[in-house]
Amino acid sequence: MSEEYPAQEPEGPPPDATELTLQQLVLESQDIRVFLTELAVLASSRLSSAGNTIHSGVTVLRNKRPQAVAASDAAARALDELQNGFGQGPCLTALHQGTTLLVPDLAAETRWAPYVRTAAQHGVSSILAVPLDLAGDAEAVLNLYSGRSNGFSGEDIVAVETFAAQAASSLRLIIRISQLSEVRNDLTAAMQSRTVIDMAVGAIMAQNRCDRDTAFSILTRASSTRNVKLREVAATVITSISGEDRITAHFDE
Amino acid sequence: MNADWTGGPDSLLEADEQRRAVAKRFQDSEVPLIKLWTYYYGLGGDADEISLDAYLNEALHLPAAQVGLISTAMRELFAGGEE
Repeated sequence: MSEEYPAQEPEGPPPDATELTLQQLVLESQDIRVFLTELAVLASSRLSSAGNTIHSGVTVLRNKRPQAVAASDAAARALDELQNGFGQGPCLTALHQGTTLLVPDLAAETRWAPYVRTAAQHGVSSILAVPLDLAGDAEAVLNLYSGRSNGFSGEDIVAVETFAAQAASSLRLIIRISQLSEVRNDLTAAMQSRTVIDMAVGAIMAQNRCDRDTAFSILTRASSTRNVKLREVAATVITSISGEDRITAHFDE
Repeated sequence: MNADWTGGPDSLLEADEQRRAVAKRFQDSEVPLIKLWTYYYGLGGDADEISLDAYLNEALHLPAAQVGLISTAMRELFAGGEE
């Protein structure tokens, strides 16, 4: 299965537009990063015990490429990045398969050889990877590293799976809200912009006694030859006629 | 809003070419469709999101004025967002 992971190809198939938005949100939203960091810290403190410190990180897939986005500490971040650099490893396989994956003892592991060897040199002995089910909105995996072999008990695994599921459903909600608020902000900006442009088009139609398409092409030409945004050209037109420099759209939110 | 495309075969060919270039530029940009449509709408565009989608998949022709606005929307949006 791990062989299917291409070593970080720059070109992938063009991603679906919706999928892209969501992945961008996961990676770029400050709220989501904070949430994922809290998740990693919580996972690490919940599972760590005396003599068995658990490092935890979250990797998100973007354009088929994995990216470490949050971690409980620098060690976890480094381990995530190491794996993403190799382009293969247990966490990426878990992400790919959508199922929890446990490597109880790195010394006995034969898969992902280059990564496993390097991780062992960094003092890792067991790894637990739990994917976050984001219902196709994005793909993310919670990675847990222990310095002990058999560092994760059956109980630990159940506990992590339970709160990974809870975290995933909260995350789905955060993603939806962020997405909607972005669309809403864009629409508000579009309403303002369209109001100004429509007014300017009307003014040009009246002045030049031309139709709407002609008025638009006059504006568009002015915008592209001067390399000024259409909206700014429109605002200049209105100001030159009426002296008004603040036009606001009339609609309630 | 299927175009009132009244030009002869030559201009239709030209429109095909132009459309292909616009579609390619859109795909390369990786900008989500809703983002482009909202911006284009903000410039005074009249086509709905589905027609824009069809245009960008080379399945529909739009009137020249709309094509001009789509190009302008792309130029402004890809140049660095809406300030």
